[in-house]
Amino acid sequence: MKDRPNTETPILQVSGLKKYFPVRRGFFQRISGWIHAVDGVDLSVPPGETLGLVGESGCGKSTVARTVLRLLDPEAGSIRFDGEEISDLTEAELKPVRRKMQIVFQDPYGSLNPRMTVGQSIAEGLRAFGIRSAAKRQSRTAELLEMVGLSADSAERFPHEFSGGQRQRVGIARALSVEPELVICDEPISALDVSIQAQIINLLKDLQERLGLSYLFISHDLNVVGYLCDRVAVMYAGKIMEEAPAMALFEDPRHPYTRKLLSAIPEPDPSRKSRAAEALQGEPEAEPRPEAAPEGCPFLSACEDRDASCEHLEDALYPVAEGHLVRCPKASGKVDSA
Amino acid sequence: MKTGNEQRDTLAAPAGRRDWLAGGWALFWENPIGKIGLILMACFALMAAASFVPPLLDPMYHPMHGVDPEISHATGPSAAHWLGTDFIGRDILSQLLAGARIAFMVGLSAAFMSIFFGTLIGMISGYAGRFVDTLLMRIADMVMVMPTLLVVLILSSLFGQLRIWTIVLLIALFRWPGVSRVIRAQTLTLKHRPFIEAARVTGASHLRIIFRHIFPNVLPLALLYMTFRVTSAIIIEAALAFLGFGDPGTVSWGMMLQWVWKTGHMFQAPYWLLPPGICISLLTLSFYMLGRAMEEVLDPRLRKEGESE
Repeated sequence: MKDRPNTETPILQVSGLKKYFPVRRGFFQRISGWIHAVDGVDLSVPPGETLGLVGESGCGKSTVARTVLRLLDPEAGSIRFDGEEISDLTEAELKPVRRKMQIVFQDPYGSLNPRMTVGQSIAEGLRAFGIRSAAKRQSRTAELLEMVGLSADSAERFPHEFSGGQRQRVGIARALSVEPELVICDEPISALDVSIQAQIINLLKDLQERLGLSYLFISHDLNVVGYLCDRVAVMYAGKIMEEAPAMALFEDPRHPYTRKLLSAIPEPDPSRKSRAAEALQGEPEAEPRPEAAPEGCPFLSACEDRDASCEHLEDALYPVAEGHLVRCPKASGKVDSA
Repeated sequence: MKTGNEQRDTLAAPAGRRDWLAGGWALFWENPIGKIGLILMACFALMAAASFVPPLLDPMYHPMHGVDPEISHATGPSAAHWLGTDFIGRDILSQLLAGARIAFMVGLSAAFMSIFFGTLIGMISGYAGRFVDTLLMRIADMVMVMPTLLVVLILSSLFGQLRIWTIVLLIALFRWPGVSRVIRAQTLTLKHRPFIEAARVTGASHLRIIFRHIFPNVLPLALLYMTFRVTSAIIIEAALAFLGFGDPGTVSWGMMLQWVWKTGHMFQAPYWLLPPGICISLLTLSFYMLGRAMEEVLDPRLRKEGESE
């Protein structure tokens, strides 16, 4: 859609992002510790591309999304949007930046105001975008609704009259109302039926082609991520464990946690025994404990490949190949037999 | 709140907002408490409307100044005075009708004002959080623990007789904290709903979020609390008037009771004592019943049960 001066500049560049939440205890609610929800995350979304962010629930994916949008204030780190540092902008300064990056939420029921018609919800973005005339807003709303595959007369109706998939389409239309460059999809399909998931995924893909959008796509569904994303970052306990082009990640997963995630993908063909059946059997499941934030490898307590030497390894991202990073020196070295 | 929770079923037939309102109304009307409350209230509304009639028929029926020239003491019911007269020959029925008007006026306006303050403060407190929240809620706590009746009594003994509108304002000023607490709690749950975050991301201002997104969602709750506030406002005004601190220029039911008491007719003239007493009880009861029935309509769980029938 828009021509950028330098296509090499990532639309979104996050580095060293940290977000801690206080743990309050006792009568006076004193802060007794910090949960390291996001603990030094680096991400980069090139224009027109999709970066997948995967990980189990509670690993900090959504916190990354909210912090990037500055719905939460980061503790440390930089967030660059189109080359502009936005991590220290005030609310007023954020306004023009925010409308270039939008969010589609997981919960299609909670993401629309139940007391506003769908048209009003979408028109709100248009108003903020500076379309003053009500007639223009109305025609643009109809246009947006058709763009996401809904009829234009849906604008008059209330959210509770729509199904989950339709609401998610409305959520996408609202996000598109301000003509964003980056859309953060925070598990946009995980609350939907499988049949509807595919429709929404295809819609997102189609919109990306038509509008040249960039996506930060957050999910715990690796199948979807593999289908939609150019690059994938695997997150665990607030840190990036492995980051690679989608193909490379699926064909050559390095980190023990990535391998574990991949092995958990259900096998649709029942005649083939899934890898998950083996991998997950009798496994001592260790909860990630972001609160403790131990020195060294964050995955240590849950890792199957750990040995005595792991204790002394430095916690950092090691390069495997061009654009493939992994937070485990051992996994980065030789091709491991999985 | 409620529309968010109802009809999670994606297969549910599309139902318009009008249908929803109609459904709510049906549920309300189905409830005997709501029906009785509404009918009672309609009767009192009729009384209040009828209060303009007697003075037009004959100036002696004026509730305040009209005196039957032939009567100079309290008399029982008669053809000319259906409920009798008071100690100087004023018609009790026309006083009772005028009292209904005053009760509605006091109850509704005091309740509206306290809901207005309470909702505004609750929304600001819940939405702003942090320092503003702490400050406003501590003020609310301080006001909440003050006994309204006692404070108004002290004020009226300090400043002499209070006008009726001053009393209304004072009641409103002391009755907002309970409302603001509830509205604040509701705002807190709304604040982190995705649609609020989505509005922020698309660039809606704080004011816009408060009034366009939060306010419509707390409004049903505020209206519910308004019915309960009407009840308490009517009772406070009646108590003040009975204790002799009412506005001497108005004929309220509390004033009527005060006259009965002061002139020593408490046990001599039941035709004078009972009507205002019964009216106060029934009117407050009708608002309370209305509130209870509304509560059931607004509570999604109760509503669900009603719909499954």
